[in-house]
Amino acid sequence: MKTLTRLAEIASLSDDPLSPVVVDDLLALPGLAQPPLAPPKARWLETYDFSLDGFSDFDVPKPTTPEEQERLVTGFLSGLEKLFDPANNWPFVRNLRLAMDYCVRCQTCSEACHVYLGSGRQEIYRPTFRSEILRRLYQRYLTTGGKLLGPFLGADIELNFKTVWRLLELSYRCNLCRRCTMTCPVGVDNALIAREIRKLFSQELGLAPPELLKKGTRQQLQVGSSTGMNPAGLKNTLEFIEDLIGEKTGKTIHIPLDKKGADILLIHNAGEFLSWPENPAAFAILFDAAGIDWTLSSEQLGYDAVCYGLWFDDVELARIALRHVTLAKELGVNRIVVGECGHAHKALCVVADRLLPGDLSLSEMPRESCLPLLWEIVQSGRIRFDPARNDFPITLHDPCNVVRLMGIVRPQREVIRAVCAQPLREMTPQGVENYCCGGGGGFAIMNTLNFPQWRNNVSLRVKVRQILEAFEDVLDADTDKCVIAPCSNCKGTIREAIQHYGLEERYRLHYTGLADLMVNAMAELPGPYLEWNPVD
Amino acid sequence: MFQWLLVILGWASVAIFAVVSTYKIVQWARMPLALRQEVYPVPRGPRERRRYGGSYMEEPGWARKPPEGANLLAELTEMGIEILFFQRVREHNVYRIWLFSVAMHWGTYLLLVWAGLLVVEHALGGLIPVAALAILTNIAGVAAFVLGAFGALGLVVRRAINSELRLYTAPVDYFNLLFMAAVFGFGILSWFADPAFASHRAYVGGVLSLTPAAIPYLTGLCFLLFELFLIYMPFSKLLHYFAKYFTIHLTLWEDGFKVKGSPLDQKIGEQLSYRVTWAGPHVVAGKTWLEEAQIAAVPEGEKK
Repeated sequence: MKTLTRLAEIASLSDDPLSPVVVDDLLALPGLAQPPLAPPKARWLETYDFSLDGFSDFDVPKPTTPEEQERLVTGFLSGLEKLFDPANNWPFVRNLRLAMDYCVRCQTCSEACHVYLGSGRQEIYRPTFRSEILRRLYQRYLTTGGKLLGPFLGADIELNFKTVWRLLELSYRCNLCRRCTMTCPVGVDNALIAREIRKLFSQELGLAPPELLKKGTRQQLQVGSSTGMNPAGLKNTLEFIEDLIGEKTGKTIHIPLDKKGADILLIHNAGEFLSWPENPAAFAILFDAAGIDWTLSSEQLGYDAVCYGLWFDDVELARIALRHVTLAKELGVNRIVVGECGHAHKALCVVADRLLPGDLSLSEMPRESCLPLLWEIVQSGRIRFDPARNDFPITLHDPCNVVRLMGIVRPQREVIRAVCAQPLREMTPQGVENYCCGGGGGFAIMNTLNFPQWRNNVSLRVKVRQILEAFEDVLDADTDKCVIAPCSNCKGTIREAIQHYGLEERYRLHYTGLADLMVNAMAELPGPYLEWNPVD
Repeated sequence: MFQWLLVILGWASVAIFAVVSTYKIVQWARMPLALRQEVYPVPRGPRERRRYGGSYMEEPGWARKPPEGANLLAELTEMGIEILFFQRVREHNVYRIWLFSVAMHWGTYLLLVWAGLLVVEHALGGLIPVAALAILTNIAGVAAFVLGAFGALGLVVRRAINSELRLYTAPVDYFNLLFMAAVFGFGILSWFADPAFASHRAYVGGVLSLTPAAIPYLTGLCFLLFELFLIYMPFSKLLHYFAKYFTIHLTLWEDGFKVKGSPLDQKIGEQLSYRVTWAGPHVVAGKTWLEEAQIAAVPEGEKK
């Protein structure tokens, strides 16, 4: 039974979850039973705060003394003020002010949210829930009208350390996919408001999931990659990938590194090197066969396209993007091409443009998606593809950052049509209206405490249903079938979904990237490139 | 005295509405330019591409070509459809508010049309035969009052009886809707009292010629509420129709990239010189945005 959580309850001083996830309410997945959810470990409950919904990624001890609690509230208020200050928040202040003042509370956006739907429409996951709390706090503490007419305007939320902490957690219950934004009649962007809340906590209090800040942007800026891989580690990895190419294709390919004046600097999500080395290998095979003049960079950050600041921090976003573009200028390449990493697409090709000085503008150092280039390779005719090598049912996931937020919809579909034997099974809905994988906004890599349990059971639920529906007529244990996900984080999330729900054993469901799929269809190769584990 | 007050209010309400609305719009326009945050489909580029939500970024080498620029016709068409038919609410809202919402908004549009036609009738009275125009005016007035009252009251009821909508509805939201319902409701009552709108014409004529006319009490109340509503509107969230230009046209549909030396680049250069005072441990407060971006590791000594 759905809980009708009132906004004011956010301030409840209880440690009990405000709105626990209820298994029976979760969106039903055809043919899959939902096991019960494990409660947080007893020792965690003593130290950490699970008072939103019983889940958390924050391994930060909860404030226990009045001084600690007061410090949290004071810091939040200070950050709130800066969020509405044009100098401190010029990147979004206008839209934030307009969203605070002009949302008409019509709730048109709710049904667009896969988290809300996946949870069984729990109130706390509604796209407007966290925005409305922020709005009421903004009105109460920062506006004259709110100070004078608080209850009349609805500015009735009590601000205490529990309100602050639950709001922090709430900002990490949204994938930032912005599907809700498409439906708003006033243009209010509730997803970016979630990001604004994340920004407040990160930029003012240093509070962010450890995978995003400490082990993410901080590590990337200091070591070179959020994976912890330094330039020497990259060189070892590339040697391994060259061997891998030799083993799988019989080709000897030397991956160009730091080649001055190349046409293209290709930047992958470094997670690909470690988790899916076949993907950077596939790019090398395709680029080599197509005669493309390209290079990788071995400079710190030059080999890791990730830019986690896109999810939670403008300062860190600017720092990483600036380094990426500066490196490309120093190498003298004509353009940066971003590998199969959705958020890096959006960060480098779109959002960072207005965070960088004139010399690093897009007009001076173009940043493009790899997907149109892959389609161009197919069209060029330099490589012969044999679609019969990809003769299995295929569906395509649309990474939000690439598709809805950049309008790159067709190239990947054209590639699939050209290199696959069977017609593409579009998800419903598809293209710009497709749902997030459930790992967007950082969730794919957030694995602290019991957050993965929430992700696997709530946020990626709608995607699992979409995939199962796309293969509805071949949902058996005999037919290999594949989800194409041209984005590292989406791929990681779909891998997680397959493992969590046992979809490989049950349905022979696999996943891969687009470049891998293309190489699998290369007629000149002696055998298949994609290797799926045999199912017992 | 009451008649003179109504005449003054007639002019004052329009002036206050115009001045406060303009002031707010200018304030919004002067606020810093936001980061690019477009969401597709964007009504730009060829029709076929707009249909599926594609962008210029589907073509390799796009940054070496001139930026596409806005497609005013496509944007106006898209926005016009939304303003008239509320497509997004119709397709996505599950709280059955579409009909009431359309009725209330159409009531408001027609109310403005009605008021405008009354002014036109008076202004052109000596120049053109106004009989045909008068019929149009009367139809617009009746339709405005009936639709508006139905829509506003319907929305009050929906918000009050639906437990989910009620959670998010503040007292001010009910006030706004009831205020609108009162404007339209007294319009209906004044129309019942004067089906030909003769006293309404007399009032508008009196305002325009600064000669107060003797009008029935209900007609006076109808205009009083309408004028108070005009004054209230720019101070409330009812001004959202102007805000949409900034949230939708200038944000969700703004997908042009930055060209070195362009006015956009200069504006961004200026904003990059703003100083940051965020207190997070990884932020060096007091630096400009550009200086901040050039910092990788944050030495303890620099942290303020």
